[in-house]
Amino acid sequence: MITELENEILIEKRSETSNCISVKNVTISFKTNGKGTFTAVKDIDLDIKKGEIVSIIGHSGCGKSTLMNSISGMVRPTFGEVTVNGSRVTGPGPDRGIVFQNYSLLPWMTVYRNVYEAVDSVLKNKSALEKKEIVEYNLKMVNLLQHKDKLPGQLSGGMKQRTAIARAFAINPSVLLLDEPFGALDALTKGSMHVELLKIWNLNKRQQTIVMVTHDIEEAIFLSDRVVVMNDGPEATIREIVDINIPRPRNKKDIVHLPEYMEVHDKLLSLLVKNLSIEDVIFE
Amino acid sequence: MYSIAYFVGSMVILLLIWSLVSAITKSEIPGPIATWSVFFEMLKDPFYDYGPNDKGIGIQLWSSIKRVMMGFGMGSLLAIPLGMLMGGSKFTMNLLNPLIQVLRPVSPLAWFPLGLLAFKASEGATVFIIAITSLWPTLINTAFGVSSIPDDHKNVGKAFGFSRWKYITKILIPFALPHIITGLRLAIGVAWMVIVAGEMLSGGVGIGFFVWDSWNGLSLEKILSAILIIGFVGLLLDKFFNGLQNYFAYENRK
Repeated sequence: MITELENEILIEKRSETSNCISVKNVTISFKTNGKGTFTAVKDIDLDIKKGEIVSIIGHSGCGKSTLMNSISGMVRPTFGEVTVNGSRVTGPGPDRGIVFQNYSLLPWMTVYRNVYEAVDSVLKNKSALEKKEIVEYNLKMVNLLQHKDKLPGQLSGGMKQRTAIARAFAINPSVLLLDEPFGALDALTKGSMHVELLKIWNLNKRQQTIVMVTHDIEEAIFLSDRVVVMNDGPEATIREIVDINIPRPRNKKDIVHLPEYMEVHDKLLSLLVKNLSIEDVIFE
Repeated sequence: MYSIAYFVGSMVILLLIWSLVSAITKSEIPGPIATWSVFFEMLKDPFYDYGPNDKGIGIQLWSSIKRVMMGFGMGSLLAIPLGMLMGGSKFTMNLLNPLIQVLRPVSPLAWFPLGLLAFKASEGATVFIIAITSLWPTLINTAFGVSSIPDDHKNVGKAFGFSRWKYITKILIPFALPHIITGLRLAIGVAWMVIVAGEMLSGGVGIGFFVWDSWNGLSLEKILSAILIIGFVGLLLDKFFNGLQNYFAYENRK
């Protein structure tokens, strides 16, 4: 006989191990100008659990963004399928919040409006007051409340990025998709944005699943539970999935001295970079 | 400040050329001073009305402006939605583009008889030719604006599940608006040019009719005065839309 308690534990375990995002045997090809097709990624299998942070890393043009876009629904797989929370992805949806590579804020709207219109569109049933509170809460979270009436043109890169993140979080998605979110930021801003991101994730009880495309090894290690390393395209495949076994909360300054960090950093570096040194040239 | 100085300089050049032409033609074309005295008389009582063929310049001008606004307004009301439809889909763009290319170069005067036939009155015909010749710049610019919405902006709509209405009001129109206003600015210029030709044909009342009537009365001073008025009103209309353009250029609203 299974007692109620045991049953509960069983259910919990099942939900723990159940996949939030499941990419099954996905191949994505594009038609190139008239003749032929270009296959960006091929035979991708990837399962991501609820509450996990996963980075996809690889060289430029290796199809990282394409793979990401198949999860967001912006791109339909040519073969295979992607499921999110058990249902098949057929297009973009409000269960997945997206932070675009170039922020994609609407330049004619204030910071507040940019977030509000997304909230208004997704959370239709909320009252105007509730929507306002949600927007303000999320802007406060990224420290932009005092800049809420500015237009994107008046913001620095970091502020635009924070607006985009607030917008993605404000619709309370179960999955957050970040496409090279910190690529355009300087090192200092980048560092504080990483901490901000984890802070928000913690505030939401680490229930959100985050998938991030990056080409920054340190960033991937600091943020992720697992790092997916892609081969070079075309027809890119997954080269290896590396677990990051560094306990949370992680401190940026401290973790770099951990042996686990150094080990995983070396591993990722050698997976990504073929020649780690240049040969000495002897001048005679 | 400098722009005023340039404007004055420009007007001085105009007056010099004008005086020169007048001197060469031995005042067959009246000079600025002779024209000014007639112009001044006209401005003294611009709204007099001594029957159908003798009205003040103010009344003539006002009726022309009303006609232009009606034709321009109707043309624009047709052009903007149609332009959005064209810009929004490749199919309508490809389907309607040849039609536009064929109709656009047709002279307003060629449309006039059709207007007469359709409206059975010269008034309607004049408005009709203004509408049909001034709608093309707005149509083309609107279509271009809508078709050039960047994928980044479209993706925002997709990612956050914008409804069709929200997409149109929050993304499509704000992005296309500067293009639409550029179209309107070109269109009002066309409309103001067409009105003179239209009223010469239609007769009655209006600045175009006034020019023709003055020619029949052999008053070249009145014709020159009317040309100046037409030019300045055109300038003002252009300045107005220029102002709108600047106001709605979101890049500048900082």
